[in-house]
Amino acid sequence: MWPKLARRIFAAALSAACVFPLGYLLVLSWARDWSFPHILPPRLDASVWSRVWDGGSGIGASLATTAGIAATVALLATFSGFLTSRVIARHPHRSRFVFLAHVPFAMSPVILGTCLLYLFIRLGLAGHIGGVVAGQFIFSYGYSVILFLGFWNERIHALEELVFTLGGSRRQMFARVLLPIAKPMLLVGFFQTFLLSWFDYGLTIMLGSGRVVTLTMKVYAYIAAADFYLAAACATLLILPPLAMLLLNRRLLLARI
Amino acid sequence: MLGFFTAVAVVPVAWGFLYALAYSLGLVGLLSHGFTLEHWQRVLDAGELWRSVGYSLAIAAATVTLTVIFALAIALTFRRHARRGPLSYALHFPLALPPIVAALFVFQMLSGAGLVSRIAFRLGWISEIREFPALIYDRAGIGIILTHLALATPFFALLFAQLYENEKLADYTALSQTLGAGRWACLRRVVLPILLRRATANLTLFFIGVFGSFEIPLLLGPQAPQMISVLTQQKFALFDLSQKPAAYLIAVLYTALVLGLLFTVFRKRELAHVA
Amino acid sequence: MNTFLRVENLAKAFRGESVLRGVSFGLESHRTLSVLGRSGCGKTTLLKSLAGLLEIDGGEISLQGHRLNGLRPQHRNVVYLCQEPLLFPHLDVWENVVFGLRLRGVAETELRTRAEELIQSLELAAHTRKMPAQLSGGQRQRAAFGRALIVQPALLLLDEPFSNLDPEIRAAMQQLFKRVARQFAITSIFVTHDLKESLLMGDRFAHLAEGRLHVYETREEFIADPLTGVGREIEFWNSIRSEAMYAGV
Repeated sequence: MWPKLARRIFAAALSAACVFPLGYLLVLSWARDWSFPHILPPRLDASVWSRVWDGGSGIGASLATTAGIAATVALLATFSGFLTSRVIARHPHRSRFVFLAHVPFAMSPVILGTCLLYLFIRLGLAGHIGGVVAGQFIFSYGYSVILFLGFWNERIHALEELVFTLGGSRRQMFARVLLPIAKPMLLVGFFQTFLLSWFDYGLTIMLGSGRVVTLTMKVYAYIAAADFYLAAACATLLILPPLAMLLLNRRLLLARI
Repeated sequence: MLGFFTAVAVVPVAWGFLYALAYSLGLVGLLSHGFTLEHWQRVLDAGELWRSVGYSLAIAAATVTLTVIFALAIALTFRRHARRGPLSYALHFPLALPPIVAALFVFQMLSGAGLVSRIAFRLGWISEIREFPALIYDRAGIGIILTHLALATPFFALLFAQLYENEKLADYTALSQTLGAGRWACLRRVVLPILLRRATANLTLFFIGVFGSFEIPLLLGPQAPQMISVLTQQKFALFDLSQKPAAYLIAVLYTALVLGLLFTVFRKRELAHVA
Repeated sequence: MNTFLRVENLAKAFRGESVLRGVSFGLESHRTLSVLGRSGCGKTTLLKSLAGLLEIDGGEISLQGHRLNGLRPQHRNVVYLCQEPLLFPHLDVWENVVFGLRLRGVAETELRTRAEELIQSLELAAHTRKMPAQLSGGQRQRAAFGRALIVQPALLLLDEPFSNLDPEIRAAMQQLFKRVARQFAITSIFVTHDLKESLLMGDRFAHLAEGRLHVYETREEFIADPLTGVGREIEFWNSIRSEAMYAGV
């Protein structure tokens, strides 16, 4: 369609534009006194990063909290979703359940959190990590079910039946056949649900009532305080792990809804 | 397993929705006096809610439309290169950005003292910060739309590129050409309908996502009108408890809207497609 | 004549539509029953019902004197093979073949002996370490056989296993199966829509149509019945030959 050179230039510009935000935020986290009208930072130093790693800022703790919550949610959501989608995929009223699975996932996390808050207060879940995990789990569980629905096709069903006629029990069928075959998809599910939790802000503020401090909340707090250098540092911490995972295993991407 | 699913995914959400409805009708809540329609009347009359809904819908529609245009342009221009090679790697970067970081970045770029403003200053197009046009906190929501665009376009570009391959659109295009279709006709009658059809689920969820977006309008949106999630949360978090029924009411309306939209799209085709 | 497998009045309906009606037959051990039927006549339903993969609506199934009704598939010792070899994609040929033995916790030495003998018979010795994706259609089907035979099932059910193969491979597989069936004294039911194949593979013959199974006493009876279509085939080839002769003249 276009001449080859124009396409090359366009591709290069597009690639640069994609990579620029990360680059900019990295530079911002190393900058000092970078205000209008300087286009480049007048000074660079590591003072912001040393504040990140010293205990006082609480960033290290929030990094650990965020990672812990995300790993828990991802583990729970992936396996629940995998097993549940098996039942739903073969159910006579399949579409009804698929629709229901979309609901928590389609809702805005903030509004979902608002609706769930009173229930969670009554259940003693609000205001601490358990509540955030539970809320994010509800959100990710729906996504996970939808993601894994595509796995349970005719061929898998035939493989299951084959294992039965060869004498295998259900446990053996899962352990020796289904799980090994599903492993790539399970990894994708884990990664995607991990990201859903890792990036979450709405459910965390509503259900954590401000007491569960994750990295996204730190970023917001520093922006509100106009400390953009620290905000950029936290933002970098937020971006780098998912980016690394995405680049290492690119197929992790396209199973996303 | 289905019991678990119902108990964990369906019941709490349904319960929450009903509770919010009850709260908005005065049946429960800290300051409730019993069944009353006054909250509903007040909010529906005030106009603030309608402006918010209208604003959110408009931003969502604009975002989705622009995203589709840009993503298609990228996918169709680069096709295979969008799936393998350096461009493909680059397209993955924005996917690692959470909304709040994207908002921070756009703020840094487009605020009065932001990078774009500084470049304009150096180029002599403006002589002070105040002259830089308001691209954030503006009523047109330019900053909000641009941020969502930046986040979603790479994803949809990759999606469309993959769909193009999966659906063998190159073959279909060749076929159409032998039947006499020109390049634009192929695009309009073959490529676009097939791609959009396969991406309907994703696009619907994307629309709903932008409609209910929170972090981005929170940081970049104007004081008024506010997007619907921001409006809900602001009302909810106020010390003035009398706003809580309004907050719940908006949550109920939002949920009803989303359910309605999901149901409509679902009716037409099963949303259980994953790309 | 012992009745190794006895089926009486087997009935199965889907959504009110009767697929199998009053199917009754007996089969002696070490014999192959060839069932001829068009696509959609209920062949797969019959086999899956025998395997326990489908619940039946009525009738009695007994194998080696034991009642199979209500028994789950893993307890029937009946293996069901379909058109697609369905080798486990994550296991190589060797692991695919010995899969059933691993399920039963068979000791490594015995496992090895049994597998090697079988793999030799199936001419797969050169391919044991390959993954299913690297095999040809015929090789995959042979590996699928090996996987089924190694657990020494009392009854083997084959649902058109060769219909996806090229004609030459198909012929080779038919010969292979007959040889292996004799060698390992297998009792089996072989279902197909191909007339030639059904004549080749069976010791006993049956025809399934509209949910009813007609069992023939002898091969000649099978050939003579107009329902099976053998007569028409013979007429067809005869007429071709006559035309050729005329043209030659």
